[in-house]
Formats: sequence, C-alpha cells, structure tokens
Amino acid sequence: MTALSLTINGRAIGPIEVRDDLSMNDFLREVLGMTGTKFGCGAAQCLSCAVIVDEDGVSSTRPTCIAPAVDFDGLSIRTVEGHAAGGALTPLQVSFIEHFAFQCGYCTPGFLNEGQVLLERLARDPIPRAELERTITEALDGHLCRCSGYVKYHEAVRAVVLADAGRYLT
Amino acid sequence: MKWSAAGGIALSLSRFAGAQTPSFLDRETLPGQGVAHPSAGRVDGVAKVTGAKLYASDFRAVDLPGWPSDTHHALLLRAPDATHVYEGLALDGLAADARPQVVVTAEEVARIGVRVPAFYEGDLFCPIGKTPLYLGQPVALLLFATFDAYDRARVFLRDNAHLRFGAETGPVAGGNYGAFRFTRVAGASPEAPDVYSPIQEGWIRPGFFEGSGRPVWEPLPVAEGGDYVKGARFGEQIRAELDKPGAGTLVLDRRFETQSIDPMFLEPETGLAWYEPGAKKLEILLGVQSPFEAAEALAHLLGEAAADFRPARIDAQFCYVGGGFGGRDHTPFPLYMALAALFFPGKPVRLAHDRFQQFQGGIKRHAFKMRSRIGIDRASGLMTAFAADHELDGGGLANYSPSVAVVGATAAIGMYDVPKVDVTTVALHSRGVTAGSMRGYGTLQTMTALEVLVDEAAAALPIDPIELRRRNALKVGGRTMTGNPYSVSVRAPEILDKLDAHAIWRDRAAQKARARPGVLVGTGVACASKDYGTGADCSLGSVSIDAEGRIAIHSDAVEMGNGIGTALANRVAGHLGGRADAVTVAQVDVFDELELIKSGDPYSITQEEQDKAAANPRWVPEISSATSASIGAHVGTHAAAEAARVLFRFGLWPAALAIWGIAAHDPRAKQHAEAYWQGETLVMSGLSPLPLKAIAAKLHAMGGVTGAMAHAFSRWAWAQATFDIGGDEWTADIDALALRRGAGGFERLDRRAVAFPPADYNRIGTSFSSMCGTVVRIEIERATGKLTIAKAYSVLECGQALVPEIVLGQSQGGFAMGVGYALLENLPLYEDGPGNGQWNLGRYVVARASDLPLHDLEVEILPPLSPREPPKGMAEVVMIPVVPALINAICDATGHRFQSLPVTPEMIKGVLA
Repeated sequence: MTALSLTINGRAIGPIEVRDDLSMNDFLREVLGMTGTKFGCGAAQCLSCAVIVDEDGVSSTRPTCIAPAVDFDGLSIRTVEGHAAGGALTPLQVSFIEHFAFQCGYCTPGFLNEGQVLLERLARDPIPRAELERTITEALDGHLCRCSGYVKYHEAVRAVVLADAGRYLT
Repeated sequence: MKWSAAGGIALSLSRFAGAQTPSFLDRETLPGQGVAHPSAGRVDGVAKVTGAKLYASDFRAVDLPGWPSDTHHALLLRAPDATHVYEGLALDGLAADARPQVVVTAEEVARIGVRVPAFYEGDLFCPIGKTPLYLGQPVALLLFATFDAYDRARVFLRDNAHLRFGAETGPVAGGNYGAFRFTRVAGASPEAPDVYSPIQEGWIRPGFFEGSGRPVWEPLPVAEGGDYVKGARFGEQIRAELDKPGAGTLVLDRRFETQSIDPMFLEPETGLAWYEPGAKKLEILLGVQSPFEAAEALAHLLGEAAADFRPARIDAQFCYVGGGFGGRDHTPFPLYMALAALFFPGKPVRLAHDRFQQFQGGIKRHAFKMRSRIGIDRASGLMTAFAADHELDGGGLANYSPSVAVVGATAAIGMYDVPKVDVTTVALHSRGVTAGSMRGYGTLQTMTALEVLVDEAAAALPIDPIELRRRNALKVGGRTMTGNPYSVSVRAPEILDKLDAHAIWRDRAAQKARARPGVLVGTGVACASKDYGTGADCSLGSVSIDAEGRIAIHSDAVEMGNGIGTALANRVAGHLGGRADAVTVAQVDVFDELELIKSGDPYSITQEEQDKAAANPRWVPEISSATSASIGAHVGTHAAAEAARVLFRFGLWPAALAIWGIAAHDPRAKQHAEAYWQGETLVMSGLSPLPLKAIAAKLHAMGGVTGAMAHAFSRWAWAQATFDIGGDEWTADIDALALRRGAGGFERLDRRAVAFPPADYNRIGTSFSSMCGTVVRIEIERATGKLTIAKAYSVLECGQALVPEIVLGQSQGGFAMGVGYALLENLPLYEDGPGNGQWNLGRYVVARASDLPLHDLEVEILPPLSPREPPKGMAEVVMIPVVPALINAICDATGHRFQSLPVTPEMIKGVLA
C-alpha cells in the first residue's frame, strides 16, 4: 500500500492509502467515484480513459486503465468533470455539442481531454493553417470512437481553432 | 408497471425519494435541470461533455438513494474450452485477500429452481461433468465483499489456469437454429399475380436434417411450416435453369464468406443490483437495448425459484447505453446480474465485464458462408434468376439466429427486381461464442456477396456497373422476394443517378491513369436496400406541458447514441412549438395508466386469436420493443408524436381559442390544422400570435388536456384506433391513449374501435426499406498492399430526417464501421477466437480516424419526397454499401475479386506478387 496524493481538477486529494497495483482508472472510478473518466479496454488502446496531466507548464494526456494510481502521486491532473469552470462550458465542450461530435458519448471524455491539450499546445506554439487538419488527425488518432466515424469530432476541434485563429494559428 | 406478473412477480421501475442524492431518474432525465445549454446540439450534450453519471457503468450503490452505500462485486468466469469435460474450479492459488465470499455454480443455480427464458435456452452455467455448450459459457459467478479482492481475483484468474478440464469429447452436438426457404416465381408481367411466393403460400422449412443439423433441401414429401414440397419444386426448377443456361444468358456461380466480428461498443456490459430479502425486492440497474424484454426475462428466471430467491417485486431501471449496434438487444447479461444479487442478499452487487470478458461473452455478428448464382439476359441486362444458399454460424445459443437467417435471406437480392428467386438459409449451432443481433442483421453479409457478384456480372456482360443496377432496380410497387411490394418510397433511380454523376465515379478512368508510380488506383460502387422494423414494433410515449409552457417527454426508446432523445424533442416540437425541457428515455414503468395487457406471440398469432383478443380495449399485440432494427426515428418517436398531436388538438388549441375569444360554433374553431408554430409562438392567419407560455397558462387555468400518453403498434402498418375525446371522434395511428387534465393524473380512454394490421402480414419479409449507395476511390501501395481510401461519397434516403446532424453522424459512423468490417476486423470462430478470454483491442482492430478519408467523405441525404413522408430507418443501411464498394474498388485496382472478408494488406500483396 502506498499513500497517494495528487491534485485533481485543482483540488488536493489525499493522502489516500492505495494498493500498489490499483489502476489509476479504478482509483478515479471506484475510490473517488469520479466516473466521468471511462473504462473501455484496459489495454490503453481506446483511450476513453485518458486524463490530462499537467507537468512543468506542459499538458499531455495519459491513459489511466493500465497505469498504477501510484504513478500519479504528486501530479496534477484534469478530468472531464473539471473542464467547465463554474458551470460555464469551455469553447471545446460547446463545439462538441454544437457539432453533434459524439453519439453514445462514452469516448467523449477522452476526446475532450485530447482536444483540450491540443488547443493548449497550439496556444503556446501556433501552427500554419495548412497544417491544421493533419495536426488534429495526429493528435486525436489514438482515440477510438465506434459511433461517429470521427468526422464531427475533428470538425468540432477545427471550429474552435478557426474561431480564434489569431491565438492558435500563425 | 403492471404490465406483467410473470411468475407472480410484480415488475416495476420505482422512483427514489432521496433528498440529497439526485434520483436515478433525475440523473437520466435530460436536458437536465437548469444547466445552460448551447442553442444547438443533442439534448444529452451537456451531460456527455461534463462527465455526468449516465451509463450503467457509472453507478455504484452510493449513487442510489435508499440503497446501502457499499458496493460489492461479481466476477463471471467463463469456459475457454468447449471440447473437453469441465471438471470444476480450483481457486487454491488465490491469495487470501482475493478470495470470493460466495461461489455460484450450476449446482447452486439448479438448487434454487431458476427457469431459463426460452430465448436463452441452454445451461446458464456449465455443470461439472459436462462439456461446455460453447466457448465462453459461464461456469461460475464469484462474489466479493470488496473491490480490491475482486480486482485481484479478476487479474489472477484471467489466464484460465484455475479451470479444470478432463477428457476430450469434441464439441457438443446441436440441431440447427432455423432453416428456411424463400422461393418466388413472378407472373408473366409485373402486374400479374405471382406464380408462387411466400406471401401467398406461407413460409416454408425443410422437413429433414442431416446429423450435422444441415437440412436436406431436396423436396422430400415431408415438411413443416407450410407446403415445403410445392415451394421447393419451384426452387429446384430455378436452379435447374441456372445449371443449364441458354447462350443468351450469363450465369455466375460464386461463393463468399464473411467473418465473425464484435460490436465493440465502448462501454462493456455492466449492471448493478440489490436484493433486499426482507422486502423480497430486487432492484436492478442495466444498460440494454431491450429493457422491457430484460425485465420480463428476469421475472421468468425467478418466477418459480425457491422462496428465499424469489423476489416479490423487481424494480428494473435502465440507463443510457455506451453504444449498442444490436449487441445489447436480448443479451443474457441481465440474468447473471440478477443471480449475483440473489446469491449475495442484502448487498448491492456490481457485475461489470472488462474488455476481455466482453469479447469472451458478448454477442457477435454471424459469420456467413454463401453460394450465390445469378442469371442475366445478355441482351437486355435484366436479371432473370437468382439462387443462393446461406449457412450462418450461430454459436452456442440460438439467440436471434433464426431471425438473422430470415432477414439475411430475404435481403439476398438487395435492391433488385428478380422474377425467379430461390434462397435457402440455415442457422447452425456451433461451439462458438453466441451470435445475435448486430447492425446489418444478416443483410450486410448477403448484400455484400450480392453487390460483389453484380459488379462481376457488369464486367462480364459488359455493362456499366451503375447502368446494370439501374436496369434491374426494383421500382415503386415492384415485388420483393416474399411477393409483397414495399409500402414506402423506393428511390433507387435517384440514388443511382447521384452516384453516376459524382466526380469520384465520373473521373475514375482519369484517376487510374494518373496513379503515382508504385500505386494502384481503383474505384468501386455498391448499393443497398435495408429493411427497418421487425414486423412487431411498438412505441410508448407521453407528452405533458406545465403552466409555464415547459414540455416533458417520456419514451420507452433507448438512447444508445442514436439521438433518440433529440429526435423525440424535435418531433414533439413540430406539434407543440417548444423544445422539451425534459426528455426521459428507456422508461417502461411510466405508462401504467394505459393498463396494457398482451397475449400470444405477435409474430405467430392467428387472425381469429387477434380479433378475439382485440375486443378487450386494453389488449395490444406487444407492449414494448427493443430499440433496434433501425426503428428509432420511425417507431421510437411515433407514440410521443401522436401524444403531442392530441395534446395540441385537445389542449393547446382550445386554450388558444379561449384566448382569442373564438366560440365553439365559430368556423375558425375547427381550423386547428391551419395554425402553425413560429418558434414558440402559435400563428393563425388573421389572429394575434400567441406565445406558448400564455397558451399553457390558459390551458391549466381551464383544466384542459395538459398531457397525453399513447401506445402504438406496427406490423408493417400502424394499428389504428378511434377514441371519443370530449365528444369529438379522434382516429389515429395508436391503439391506446390516456389523457391528463389540469394538474391531475393520466386517465385511460377506452378505444371505441381498433384495426390491428392483419395477422397475415407476418408473411411479409419486410415492407419498409431505405436505400443507400456508396462510391469509393482507393489507392493501394503495390509493394505492401496497404490500402488508403482517397475519397468516398454516400447518398441515402430516409424520408424525413428528424435530426439531420445525427443522420449525418450515423452515416459517417456507418462508413467507419463498414471500413472496419471490410478491411480490419476479424474474430476466429473457435478455440483461437474471443471465447478463449484472451482477446482485447490491439489484437482486435477497429477503424481509427487515420483509416478513413475524414476530409474527403461526402454524405448526401436526399430530402423527403413530400413533407408528409415519415422518417425511415437509416442506422444500418449506411454501413452496408461501403463494404462491397471497397471490395469492388480493390478489384478495379488489382484485377482480383476477393470473395471473403476482411481483405487485409497481406492478402492484397499476395495477389499482386
């Protein structure tokens, strides 16, 4: 057992004693009751379980289904529950809804986290317009969606970028 | 709900009265309570982008008011072997902190006296001393006090080493699940009656079977299910003609095989249940496509169980579903969930498949083996005859196999008008994982074989592939294989014209000529005509409005991504002006006031039985349907739409008249059909526009009709009934109605007359169909066989698109699933397949974004022919033509026509060597 402390959506959690082999996904879902982060495969193949990890001012996503919870000790993470601050949806959340990006919605938390990380990366390092579609495809490609065919997810992310082109594009 | 007292157990869905924790129903009622929503989008959009608890896998005991707070856990162990005697479970190796508190096996289940519902016939658990019926058959249910113990055991037991098997027996033999023959010989002209057809003569089945379960199709003088001999003789004549065609007839004889695949919905099957022995109440929470069936199956299972295991009441609650695609329609999972709770009395238990378990135990798509023969007159290009033989592997339990066999067989001539058709089909038992419903439902397999065959015929004649299809396309009024016409629009010519005119098709030769060095370019086209509905489809819906003008909708349809909640809101808004503030789906308990009863089987009931039963104004042929067979738009929204019509006509309209001061004798009082909504304002020529809110306030002040609840039934036509509403006669496509006045409760109205569709309509294969065509351009890297889809175009017709964005999204999703089926997905059927418990994503490959032409996929949805054309089913048809179009494109690029799926880069490379 290990005492685990971390920050989730800006809130300090822990220390909580957890089994060393407890997955981060089960820590979120079973221990904390935060079921917004989904379980899809347990093999880091579908990424419906991905959360955002903020380290040294840089954000990235990480699957939680095969990673031990203790690997997240001391880290600051964001989950789907943390995007809408004070009840106000983020531009990406609004865009997902307005574009009908998802259908069953089970993969949505993973896509939302990945899309948000991409937006934050583009805000730091804008790209030329011509590279936008390829960049979105590369960023989201690890995520599986069985319902939507991915098109509307991509359109939704692109719409957020183009709506604030001065921020995200060179 | 009082819809069943199966086994004397009351079935219902109770509402929780928790004050602090939101009730289950509150959580599942969308668009939710006071959350700011974007102006566009799905009604469940906010919940899904904020991680709200929606799915069965999200709930724990602590989330449910009134439940004990601790969740316990269940683990279902399944057999990875179906050719050796099962000798039991050895849990010695389990660490002390991973031990289950309870182990449930066949022995315990037999002792309590459960009854397996007929649909799931077979041992729920393989008993010791027997060979498992199929790979993945459950052998034990382990119940754990803590998540940690469960989790440790789950991982430790995954390698199957704890399951003991003895002597080799080979697979357990079993009869076939269903064998049918569909034969039609058309008359001399399109107008003439058929010489022979299933709708005239009845469906036929062979009477003799080999030891393997395969039928003897030759017309021996013994049969069942109608006059087999007569039909089979016509069928054999057709085959004889195809065996010896004249010089003017092209005959192609081909075999085609399709693979088993997994629906791969992202949320594995999960449930939560609590058996309270004191109150003898079983509460269960599930995510299925068939909630009514699941509740009835549970009641049957436990109806005659021993006293300690027989609930007096089952409260079943149904969640949003994380993908379905048919794989959650009639799944045995709920039975195991209930047993877990009953064997752990007083403790809430969660049963959740992980992905390995979902592959091992979840319903699969049938693998088909098909032989197809087609005869085409060389001069005219007209199809003269078609004969086919289908064998599908149903796996270990019958499930929907007989039905999939029928639907696949009756789709075998796709969108074409063929005067002589003979198709045999048999669904075989095997030791494979059970196959059942999945998007396409047999037609994906048979129409893929057909469209690949038609493409080859076009090349052989030679006739342009689209022109060949155009010459043979079924026209409106033309007869299908069963001898009946479609009773909906038939738009094949428009679809073909669209494909023909599209740049991908027009430029195919130029694109091929411009191929880069080392790259082969090919273009392929295909079409599909897909049935929707099952021939016994039901809809339950209620719509009510409060004094503030807020609209609430309840429906029994299930939201699995299909957008049914949004479609309900949009369809009701067409009648009431306002978009609903609350839409609750997957409800089967909130329609008690209709007091519905049913008897008999809607598919096999006789006319006499139906007429007799229908005399009872509460009787309907079936109460609630699964959300499947592409019925979401057509059926799922129907009852709510009809309820909304009643609410407008007998509630809002009289209130509006009162505000306008129009008396009952004024001619304008009858002109409700002339009024229309502009947003939430009712407009009537010559009168002041009225806001919905003002009308609703007046309506409540008057104590008028503030809510309507309806049931509808379709057997290829809607049942129609007449009601007396306040002295006015109201006839509509519903068979039961209840009204609410003011703030009161719903009260049932007896129908004055009813006309159910004739029982003979059960001979119809399908009467409802939608069409779709696809053209694709692919590029193949010659050195590796790697295939890239460069561009694609699909065109479909689906009547009125209730939510066009969702129709588009489903089309794009269908395209992706079609690509996966054609090129990527494959499950070995037996020992190396998912039944061994070792399969997961990574090994099983589904389409990712990079496999698709994301920015070069064009979907065109044809507008309805008339504003009155109702919505048609479209969720399945959009997937089908993608598959044969890809195979045809590969042939165009490589010259090789593959006759099995999936076509992998290795296979392509192999034919290019």
